[in-house]
Amino acid sequence: MAEKSSYLLEMQGITKRFPGVKALDSVDLAVRTGEIHAICGENGAGKSTLMKVLSGVYPAGTYEGEILYRDEVQRFSNIAASEQAGIVIIHQELALVPELSITENIFLGHEINTMGVIDWDEARHRTVELLERVDLREDPETPVKYLGVGKQQLVEIAKALEKDVQLLILDEPTAALNERDSQQLLRLISDLKQEGVTSIIISHKLAEIEQIADHITIIRDGKSIETLRVDGTVDEDRIIKGMVGRTLGRRFPERSSRVGDVLFEVRDWSVQHPLDATRLVAKNSSFTVRAGEVVGFAGLMGAGRTELAMSLFGQSYGVKLSGEALMHGKPARIRTVKDAIRAGIAYVSEDRKSLGLNLLDTIKRSIVAAKLGRISKSGVVDELQETRYAEEYRQELRIKTPDVETGVDTLSGGNQQKVVLSKWMFTQPDLLILDEPTRGIDVGAKGEIYQIIRRLADEGKGILLISSELPELIGMADRIYTIFEGEITAELQAANVDQETLMRHMAPMQKGNAA
Amino acid sequence: MSADTTTERRGFNPRDIWLIFGRRGSLKQLGILGALIVIIVVFQIWTEGTTLHPGNVINLVQAYSFILLLSVGMVMVIITGHIDLSVGSVAAFVGIMVATAMRDWGLPWWAGILLGIGLGAAIGAFQGFWVAVIGIPAFIVTLAGMMIWRGAQQFVGQAQTIAVPEEFRYALYGFMPEVGPATPYNNLTLLLGLLAVLALFFFQFRSRAKRKKMHAALEPLWVTLTRTGLVSAAIIWATLLFASGRPGTSFPFSGIILVVLIALYTFITSRTQFGRHIYAVGGNRRAAELSGVNSRRTDFFVMMNMSTLAGIAGMLWAARAGAAGPGDGTMWELDAIAGVFIGGAAVAGGIGTVFGAVIGGLVMALLNNGLQLVGVTTDRMQIIKGLVLLVAVGIDVLNKQQGRFSFIGAMMARLSSKRAVREVSELSPSQNTDQN
Amino acid sequence: MKKKLLGAIAISAVAGLVLAGCGTGRDGGGTDEGEGISEDARIGVALPDRTSENWVLAGDLFVDGLEEAGFEPDVQYAGSNNPVQDQQQQIEAMIQNGAELIVIGAADTAQLSTQLQAAKDAGITVVSYDRLIENSENIDYYIAFDNFEVGVLQGTALLEGLEERFGDEDTWNIELFSGSPDDSNAPVFFDGAMSVLQPKIDDGTLNVVSGQTEIAATATQDWSAENAQERMDNLIQGNYSGGTEVHGVLSPNDTLARAILASASDAGLETPVVTGQDSEVESVRSIMAGDQYSTISKDTRILVADTIDLISTLQAGDEPGDTEALDNGATDIPSILLDPIIVTQENAAEVYADDPNLAPLTED
Repeated sequence: MAEKSSYLLEMQGITKRFPGVKALDSVDLAVRTGEIHAICGENGAGKSTLMKVLSGVYPAGTYEGEILYRDEVQRFSNIAASEQAGIVIIHQELALVPELSITENIFLGHEINTMGVIDWDEARHRTVELLERVDLREDPETPVKYLGVGKQQLVEIAKALEKDVQLLILDEPTAALNERDSQQLLRLISDLKQEGVTSIIISHKLAEIEQIADHITIIRDGKSIETLRVDGTVDEDRIIKGMVGRTLGRRFPERSSRVGDVLFEVRDWSVQHPLDATRLVAKNSSFTVRAGEVVGFAGLMGAGRTELAMSLFGQSYGVKLSGEALMHGKPARIRTVKDAIRAGIAYVSEDRKSLGLNLLDTIKRSIVAAKLGRISKSGVVDELQETRYAEEYRQELRIKTPDVETGVDTLSGGNQQKVVLSKWMFTQPDLLILDEPTRGIDVGAKGEIYQIIRRLADEGKGILLISSELPELIGMADRIYTIFEGEITAELQAANVDQETLMRHMAPMQKGNAA
Repeated sequence: MSADTTTERRGFNPRDIWLIFGRRGSLKQLGILGALIVIIVVFQIWTEGTTLHPGNVINLVQAYSFILLLSVGMVMVIITGHIDLSVGSVAAFVGIMVATAMRDWGLPWWAGILLGIGLGAAIGAFQGFWVAVIGIPAFIVTLAGMMIWRGAQQFVGQAQTIAVPEEFRYALYGFMPEVGPATPYNNLTLLLGLLAVLALFFFQFRSRAKRKKMHAALEPLWVTLTRTGLVSAAIIWATLLFASGRPGTSFPFSGIILVVLIALYTFITSRTQFGRHIYAVGGNRRAAELSGVNSRRTDFFVMMNMSTLAGIAGMLWAARAGAAGPGDGTMWELDAIAGVFIGGAAVAGGIGTVFGAVIGGLVMALLNNGLQLVGVTTDRMQIIKGLVLLVAVGIDVLNKQQGRFSFIGAMMARLSSKRAVREVSELSPSQNTDQN
Repeated sequence: MKKKLLGAIAISAVAGLVLAGCGTGRDGGGTDEGEGISEDARIGVALPDRTSENWVLAGDLFVDGLEEAGFEPDVQYAGSNNPVQDQQQQIEAMIQNGAELIVIGAADTAQLSTQLQAAKDAGITVVSYDRLIENSENIDYYIAFDNFEVGVLQGTALLEGLEERFGDEDTWNIELFSGSPDDSNAPVFFDGAMSVLQPKIDDGTLNVVSGQTEIAATATQDWSAENAQERMDNLIQGNYSGGTEVHGVLSPNDTLARAILASASDAGLETPVVTGQDSEVESVRSIMAGDQYSTISKDTRILVADTIDLISTLQAGDEPGDTEALDNGATDIPSILLDPIIVTQENAAEVYADDPNLAPLTED
């Protein structure tokens, strides 16, 4: 009895097939009551599929194997059934309705009612309690769209708590959060553990997993490889080894020393928020990028890194107030995205699904999309050339796909990102602005992206790297600018900088408060 | 992998049979094409052969050419993520204007046609301006247009029916003359068919030659031959069918106009930069803009093009009816939209083809025609057509959903199973849609 | 390579021919070209809509009557969304299905040219039913009630009514209404009525107070009651507010007549003499109550029966006697015009005796 009931959940020999593919191949997962259990694996390894089997998205009967939950075999026919049993999944893309208030969102679908009439007073009262539990100080009436991603995440958890959650599944909960919000969330998960809530957490951020998890189950190629107990002997390299099946070499490629002349220079660049005329998202920013150099932009979320980059890229964000951009020492007139592309600037956006790709398109059509003119004659696209270039990039960047006619929506995040990189390399840019190029990408693919960035720099291109992962910036960049509230606060040589120094410049106010 | 994609594969491989029908994307349209053939066969039997009688197929082309034309424009609007509710009113307005101009100003027929095209384009530019520059959703702009142009039509025509001259009718709705030796067929129709077959062979083999030169992937020769042969057979069959109608009839001019425009727009949507922009804007507007696509320009031209085609449709109708009248064009937009969706386009935009829209339009046309031939009354006919729309789109939706049986899906899965990578299932379409 | 290519062309050509082999040869689309109509001929009847009682009744009568006469009826109604388009396609289907004679109650009298040409080319006899199809030479006969006579009867009835109700006046004040400008029958009614009224206006017996005697001024768009009532309100406001009496109103049909009466009654005027047409239930009621003065009976039963008689006559190879030539804009069409009947309170019971709907209304 004691032995058995120490497990809240046991998934045994789960096999899930899709037409032509075995997504899961007799996967085992055992989660103890009251623990935090992490699942690691590269994108496409089968983590999400496993969680969908567990939560009833794939109903009983569509998979093989057994789910034992609270010592009973469960056959969930839909999500409602698994929620009934206390299993709640919080997806990476949040399932909140932006226009509705916190209260309305929390009770959406299971409103407190008497014969169909909602008791809003009771709902509000309960919401206040729930928000206290998740430590979110907001008016329950606030529409969710006014909350940041981090706070929305907390609302999701409050919603789960309202459903009397026993087993909370979090799919990449911190992927979109900045450092501070991430820490708050992880603390909350630990607190919930004290209250007896068991959690399964899927994450790429191995440092976080190390910090919070009790056990780690590693999945690779649809198979469960091993379950590790987190006890000091397990470090990032150990986990990565399990995930990719080998030890990775150096995480960041060697820097090259061949940095050339100034390629791109920005002077006194100021941008006004598109809706709020009183707000400046970039204030008199000046910086340079040299040929063959990787320049990092460090800043907290909302500091204005992306806004600055996008306004430089054909004024695709905000209203430009002042400033000058020089390409190869000459002023460049860039008023549209097309001008920017023609001037040799490429921008790989931070949100590849909503800004980087048309998910309905094929790989080859995506790759040539930003410079169709290069393979067109009098407006007619040469499809043979298109295929040729696409094949070239597929091989060069090692995009994992049967052929370039495949839709980009079927690719994993890492491979999608390679398609986006191909798309911008195809425009033959001199300057590549890479906005969070490794977000939501697994470790193996990250390494490949780093190699690609290095290679581009070695070819003499200028790289502007925006990233929230400080080790990535320190590892990849030659120079780093820190940005705080739209202003460039410091310029640092990456070779002799540490995360603490960066943080100090990224959030100087906080530093002041703390002192 | 790279080695065998750059050379021609030789010998017979059963899997290559699918290549006859083109690349993977076009397989999807095979379903609706199959449905069309089933409908034809069913009515051919039910009407005891009248459906595929030369006289009836000529009627079909004449009676539906303007709706099919509208479907061609509408599919581009829908791919871009818009809708155009004004096409019926625009068609009616252009029709009455052209009829009035020819009657009152004595314009010759060709000037009338030019006026109609210009007027359609101008109306389209007007509507495009509100959509692209001011930024009002096309649904609202064209809803307004629907009222404006209907009202303008009644204002100009004073609710009267205005006849169009005989030459105008002939130019748009007439038949080719009987020339050359006396054969049991219309000789010019035969000539046209022959030219079409020759053009087909020319393009198929020119494409092969070019691929060879570029060292691009080459399908086996027998696949090219079989495909070309099958399509030629279809063209020849259609040619003979149209050529063997009552003496004095042939493949009608309206049909020629339609075929030329379908070919033109298929080319534009699939092979040109503008076509790519339409799909890009409809698939993901922001991403397209960040790739340097001028989305407003795309919106503008798509709307303008639609009204231009609506103008041509209006003139085709006036030529068919012999007059432009107050009730012209009522509900045409909905017929066109129905065809587009039966042809596999997505309501949210980004998906659809001209070919699919034409086939979808033909499904509706044949259904209408067949039911009329067997004497089903209009009330019951509307019920049937509504149900067909529902079922056709329903099947399409089910096909896209995971975990349900789909005939086409199963075929495609088998086709690609050996090459599939695991990502295919990991990021299933349902995941993409239900979490946004 | 060349050989294979030629082979493929040859194969596809043969395949095409084989496929096309079924059912070709140039013919006229189903009928044998010979003149004359066979005894069991298929007769197409294309009617404009199914929403009006009158057309539905006509359709039923055609089915029964044609069957009885040994023909094979094919009766189709156009839908309400797109009547012209539907009707065009229905006529094409009738031609395709081998109809030998087609009766057309046109949805639009000017938009059937292509189909009429096709019918002509296929050797089909076309009868224009109830509405005269304009601008086409391809009409063989026209059969309808004599609409000019309708107007004449309305004019006459108006004069009789005025004599009856306002016999002691020297001059009768009247107003004129006509039908929708897009209906080719509207001017015919009006001209018929004016042929009677104009001399009386000229000699001063009748006084059109508003002065609106042109058809364009008197028209009622869409035959809509709303438009008629609005015009009548305005006429009263402008011409009869100072105590001037309106004694009579020429109304082309019953719907408009009731609208005019409503307007007069709202204005508190004495009930004027108002004519009508169509024998609508409400108007018959109104006539029996002494409000509306007259209506016209154009019995669908008689029109359908006479149409079937015409078809039988043609089938027997005879020419219908007693036709007049009417100009439809392209040519003179041999026309059979039936006489309408004027109905007032006096003769209503007699006229409607056979009508199951109206007969009860005429009993006290």
